[in-house]
Amino acid sequence: MSKALRAVWDNTYGLLVDDGQLALGAIIALAVTWLVAQIGGDTVRENAGWLLYLMVLGLAVANIYRAGRSVHRSKMLR
Amino acid sequence: MDLVTLAIAATPSFIASAVEFVEATTIVLAVGLTRGWRAPLAGSALAALTLAAIIATLGVALVTVIPERFLLGLVGTLLLLFGLRWLRKAVLRFAGIVALHNEEEIYRREVAELRAQGLKKTEWDWVGTVVAYKAVLLEGIEVAFIVISFGAKGMTALNAAIWGAVAAGVMVIGLASALRQPLTAVPENLLKFVVGAMLTTFGVFWFGEGVGAEWPGDAASIPFILGGLLLACWLTVRLLRGILPEGARVEARNV
Repeated sequence: MSKALRAVWDNTYGLLVDDGQLALGAIIALAVTWLVAQIGGDTVRENAGWLLYLMVLGLAVANIYRAGRSVHRSKMLR
Repeated sequence: MDLVTLAIAATPSFIASAVEFVEATTIVLAVGLTRGWRAPLAGSALAALTLAAIIATLGVALVTVIPERFLLGLVGTLLLLFGLRWLRKAVLRFAGIVALHNEEEIYRREVAELRAQGLKKTEWDWVGTVVAYKAVLLEGIEVAFIVISFGAKGMTALNAAIWGAVAAGVMVIGLASALRQPLTAVPENLLKFVVGAMLTTFGVFWFGEGVGAEWPGDAASIPFILGGLLLACWLTVRLLRGILPEGARVEARNV
């Protein structure tokens, strides 16, 4: 039973998380957006979506670029 | 809802689901053509029933019971995690860092593994049933997830998403049945790139709505969010191709 539950958990986790740092970064971006929308005024809340968008763009580009750089470094070390 | 509006609303779900159906169909075809059709069809039918139960309970409960704002936040979160995962993999594939998804190669590997397992004519083929069940269920869960995510805005959106997924399923299964070979002509890597960007876009849009953000022109801002994301990813692919030594790219493609 625990094996089956473990398999269900692994599959569900695998659907959402491929790279831990990317997933963690996304959750932090979502939390920051939620917090800013809660504590900011009306104008800030209305524009919170753009803040999330910019954070996601930065996160995606930085994470993918880092993955590419690490392949590049490992090639250069060989 | 008229047919044109339904077709537009169903398109994201149709494209995203088609990719998943192609992957599941490859495995079911491999089982069917090597071990006979009864076991994989039974496995696929069982998986379809399991999926119908998941969508009927979770999907309808999510859309009808949970308050809209909370639901948009929850679905936005899941879509963003799901979409970024697809997008990352797709960009790394296009940059030559991760091997491209090759349906023909997967089909050949699956056929070889299934042949190696052997088959006794007198017994029910449990291997074939389980392999087909797992493939259809796993890819189907992704389809269910896509349907629930695109349909999170309410019953109209949910209906459109269901129609999109059903149309994709009928088209892919119909084509595979007619051709009796994996659908290698489907530009799966490109579709995954677009779908990853689309899921991420909807994730940003809906989470923003969930926290009370206002998008200029409401849903009309979605193409701009998507366009910016695709442009950023395309630039990243170009940048990565520039820094990677040629040898690394060739080696990665042959993984």
